[in-house]
Amino acid sequence: MAELRGSSGDAPQNLLTRWFGTPNLHTLDVYESKAGGYTALRKALFDMAPADITNEVKTSGLRGRGGAGFATGVKWSFINRDGPGPKYVVVNADESEPGTAKDRYIMENSPHMLVEGILIAAYAVGANQAWVYMRGEYDEPRRMLVEAIDEARAKGYIGPRPMGKDYPLDIQLYRGHGAYICGEETALLESLEGKRAQPRSRPPFPAVKGAWGRPTLLNNVETLATVPTILNMGGAGYAKVGTAKNPGTRLLTVSGNVRKPGVYEVEIGKTFRHVIMELAGGPPEGRKVKVFWPGGSSAPVLPESMLDVTTDAEALAAAKSMGGSGGVIVMDDSHCVVEAAHRLLQFYAHESCGKCTPCRVGQDWAVRTYERILANEGSRIDLDILRSVSDGLQNGRSLCGLGDSGGWVIDSTLRHFRDEYEDHALRHECNVGGVMAHA
Amino acid sequence: MPALDLAQEELGHLTPEAMTEVATALELDPGYVEGVATFYSLFHLTPVGKHHFYVCTNLSCAIRGSAEIVRRFRETTGVKAPDEVTPDGLFSYEEVECLGACEYAPMMRLDQRFHYDLTPEKIDELIADRKAGRAAPPSPAATPPRERGGEAPPSPAATPPRKRGGEAPPRKRGGTTRKKKADG
Repeated sequence: MAELRGSSGDAPQNLLTRWFGTPNLHTLDVYESKAGGYTALRKALFDMAPADITNEVKTSGLRGRGGAGFATGVKWSFINRDGPGPKYVVVNADESEPGTAKDRYIMENSPHMLVEGILIAAYAVGANQAWVYMRGEYDEPRRMLVEAIDEARAKGYIGPRPMGKDYPLDIQLYRGHGAYICGEETALLESLEGKRAQPRSRPPFPAVKGAWGRPTLLNNVETLATVPTILNMGGAGYAKVGTAKNPGTRLLTVSGNVRKPGVYEVEIGKTFRHVIMELAGGPPEGRKVKVFWPGGSSAPVLPESMLDVTTDAEALAAAKSMGGSGGVIVMDDSHCVVEAAHRLLQFYAHESCGKCTPCRVGQDWAVRTYERILANEGSRIDLDILRSVSDGLQNGRSLCGLGDSGGWVIDSTLRHFRDEYEDHALRHECNVGGVMAHA
Repeated sequence: MPALDLAQEELGHLTPEAMTEVATALELDPGYVEGVATFYSLFHLTPVGKHHFYVCTNLSCAIRGSAEIVRRFRETTGVKAPDEVTPDGLFSYEEVECLGACEYAPMMRLDQRFHYDLTPEKIDELIADRKAGRAAPPSPAATPPRERGGEAPPSPAATPPRKRGGEAPPRKRGGTTRKKKADG
């Protein structure tokens, strides 16, 4: 495996990554003997009622780490455990948000942590079958997780009587085939059922009608990997870490123009200055941070002057952004914001699933407008077009968040970097040059 | 999708005949199957090189020089556009969206594994190694676990992990005639 870039070791904030980097942590043996693995599952199966587990997760205040940040325990409680017929747990391992690599980091380092979290969640919500939907490009994480599941099955932790408890549990892997939209939970379900991944209208929500029309709990990899820690610490213990409204730690992927890119576990509430300048070492010598995306490419950008914003959801909302998937992309002053926005709109246009018109047409329209501006054919009208296209993508006009995401890129870059847009559109010049120009 | 996967594994890409055969085996409409195949970027509907370079050019890689990586690949192989295959059938490339390994940018996927911290020189090396037949075997992920011993047997294409008891595998597997890959 490649050299570890990110958190590991016994720093106080390393709740998840404490044992990362330990030789053979990916094996069941080391996970159990060294990292205290599967104690939480044993506790859940034998010392706790399913409702107690859900309550413990509620008490912890854990919020989904996939992007939307919904309260995990509340989501679990939406599933009617005593309803008739099968229920499913589906794990979103389709990590595709640009700038995000944390789920890969977890699965490559400690796949059993995820397996344990899945089994606990399935037991808590009354499911016997879990599916892991993993993006097709993740060859190494898939190998690691397949091995982990096989080991857990051989040891009797997965099967008809896990650890001797009369409650069948099974986990299956499903391989995605390259579509960003599959990160959206209802599109993921369509894909899991073997269809084109186009989002469904909600309601009904997956908790009522999910995979194959059955009640389904969907959680992100990091969210479920945090569950064993919560049971081990106790919900109240976990809630003491982080901020009151947004407890715990999260894994932030720091990439772009920093000296030490990596996946860093951070106590929620620390500033981005701490994350970018201290943990990731800041931009290269002689350069300054110009702009950063605090939570994946979909999170509205923040300029250098807002480095002291903290990493909790409330502070980010106040700064008109969001924590998203925790992908912190840093760009220094040698790069052009308009070019970066163009690249991201190309991404959203490419990944739009085509189901609803505002997103299918709007993203493409935005790309063409950027092309005109960057080809020095822009004018004030093009800036107005960008504004109205952006508005057309947002505010519930698209079926899912992909539409809004493109709009947020346009809005937030225009809000903080109006000058650069005007340089390009009105004066046909760029203050840094086209560093990112396509090959 | 697992059925299309098997077809692509055998043929290198999905031919109209292969998609029809998958449709017949699963009792689906061929148009529906093609609709699924065209939706996902990992299904190839035209032949690709034996070594297909999936180069990430999304933001985190772009600001660390992925354009230069693509440029060098084109110069060294003579390929001019995405999905164009070199005359010997060995190489092709495409620019892909974020592959989720941003701390190692610029990076790409090649032969069922990720390649990190790319430089133009590394691209030349990877190409030269494959021309000389010195390519490392694909990562063990490429082979299903029950066939995997201590050493990873070299396998030309990725196989998804075997499903146990989930859904039934496609019924007709040997139906497609095994054709040679584009590399000849």
